[in-house]
Amino acid sequence: MNAVLSDDLIVPAGRATTKEEAIREAGGLLVASGAVEPEYVDAMLDRERTVSTYMGSHLAIPHGTEEAKGRIRRSAISLVRYEQPVDWDGNPVRVVVGIAGAGGEHLELLSRIALVFTDAERVQRVLDATTREALAGILAEVEPA
Amino acid sequence: MIMPNLPAFLAWGLITSMFIAVGWTPNGILGGFGNADEMSWQGAATQLALADDGTTFRQYLGLVAPMVTYLLPILIANAGGRIVYKERGGVVASIVAVGMITGSTVPMFLGAMVVGPLSAWVMKKVDSLWAGKIKPGFEMLVDMFSAGILGAAMAVGAFFGFAPIITQVSSWLGSIVSWMADNHLLPLMSVIVEPAKVLFLNNAIGNGVLVPLGAQEVVESGKSLLFLVEANPGPGLGILMAYTVFGVGAARMSAPGAAVVQFIGGIHEVYFPFVLMKPALILAAIAGGATGIATNVVFGSGLRGPAAPGSILAVLAATPRDSYVGVVLSVVLSFAVTFLVSAVILRASRKRDLAAGGGDLEAAIAQTEANKGKSSSALGALASQAGPVPGTTPAGGGDALPDRPLRSIVFACDAGMGSSAMGASILRDKLKKAGRGDITVVNRAVAQLEDDVDLVITQRELTDRARRHAPSARHVSVDNFLSSPVYDDVVREAQAAERTQS
Repeated sequence: MNAVLSDDLIVPAGRATTKEEAIREAGGLLVASGAVEPEYVDAMLDRERTVSTYMGSHLAIPHGTEEAKGRIRRSAISLVRYEQPVDWDGNPVRVVVGIAGAGGEHLELLSRIALVFTDAERVQRVLDATTREALAGILAEVEPA
Repeated sequence: MIMPNLPAFLAWGLITSMFIAVGWTPNGILGGFGNADEMSWQGAATQLALADDGTTFRQYLGLVAPMVTYLLPILIANAGGRIVYKERGGVVASIVAVGMITGSTVPMFLGAMVVGPLSAWVMKKVDSLWAGKIKPGFEMLVDMFSAGILGAAMAVGAFFGFAPIITQVSSWLGSIVSWMADNHLLPLMSVIVEPAKVLFLNNAIGNGVLVPLGAQEVVESGKSLLFLVEANPGPGLGILMAYTVFGVGAARMSAPGAAVVQFIGGIHEVYFPFVLMKPALILAAIAGGATGIATNVVFGSGLRGPAAPGSILAVLAATPRDSYVGVVLSVVLSFAVTFLVSAVILRASRKRDLAAGGGDLEAAIAQTEANKGKSSSALGALASQAGPVPGTTPAGGGDALPDRPLRSIVFACDAGMGSSAMGASILRDKLKKAGRGDITVVNRAVAQLEDDVDLVITQRELTDRARRHAPSARHVSVDNFLSSPVYDDVVREAQAAERTQS
């Protein structure tokens, strides 16, 4: 897609079964790509405790706190799709998007994700997509606003 | 720049009033006038000083001079730098402030207020030259060296460039003040200081000019009336009490509470909206301020250090023994004169104000906050106390009808990088499709909200915090940024507004 969401940051079939595991999985991808320091993942868990990042339409977007911005080396987004819904404070989540925003580089992609997930038909296609290419393809269809 | 550092000013004022040669409990070691060769305390910092007979001796440095010379200007510069460019700006500003301080012979409050924000701004611009172009892993190295080198260079620049200029400006201001004193014109200072206070220039005048000059006077004569020119709580109390007795509507109801905050708490800003509501009252403040100065001139009274904040308690704490009568009288008389003049002004327009529904206190509060450049919790409390005034439109009125056209919308969440960004792009998309792509929609962290937008959309839990940061904007809460009926309401409103315009 682009530098913010490189191929290794897209996982079509995640392993996590709980919310905390899912946050660690999405955060772990960010750490592995060198975008954030490991402490950032703890901040993602912290943030989740104050305000849920469940967005509706089977989507959650965990990210760190304001204070943890110093742990971000560069902007990046990870995208993990789950075959079975993860219980997110009582809501079913099938797609977890981990966000590390240093400047505004991630905003275009986030905008695409937002627009995909406000369109019921596209949401269904994301839930059905089983490959990286298919997931990236759906994101590429919409024009960021 | 000054407000967060008031504790340091207070600490300096306390130490000064205790330990200098003419203080409550003079102490040559702490006050910095004792001869280290004649006293038993060893190990403290000393400097060579010239005795009256022309010989030199080792004099204790003490706490008073280093604090006023170094600590206070560096803190001011640091705060100024932070406002512009966070911690990094603060550090660079502090480095440059030292160049400013050591390049001059007068306290560099004004200089720190200039170079602090300026050097942080330069750092920010320089950083933006190579933002995003540094190889991963080298960011820290580049950050450290760029700030270190730029800070060092700007410190030298401040030393040779700015310091002499500010020193010259200070000496001009100083000679203006002493010329005024010689010609018995000091009360005229109120003509400048009182309006400046209401426009929030009081810090620049009070701490930039009067405090350094006052500090020099204290070193010479043990006290200075200059500290009381701006800090005298009498005029503000006079205006608020006049509103309490002769005001109407919400202003009258909130004036007594404001008076306590102003007179005891020393937060003068709570009376500024009351003046802005009725600008003629500035005459009352000037008359009262001038009366206070004249009283201190007559009694030869003054303060040992700055009374900050300008609470009656801080004023009395900084009053030397021989000045109680003059200082107390100056507060009482400036209160009385301001009260009387305000009463005449308020009575003259009372009928009209009653008909108009009590004047627009909320708008005046918003104006005061705009003057200050940021929101104020003291004023925020005042606004909620005042409540909506009949016949006026509430400035921060929740989900009420729009009282100003919708041009800018901000989505705010805790970190400003996730949910708010998604909400902003969804609304942007909807507005574009509705033909109102001209409305700007951005996302931000709640803490970075500024009071310059028309509509703020936040998750329900964060709305109260957002309201404090942007008190004059309209606020809307949503439960879910991804799908909210609020978006369609906003789009409908935007379309309706366009129809009425065209």
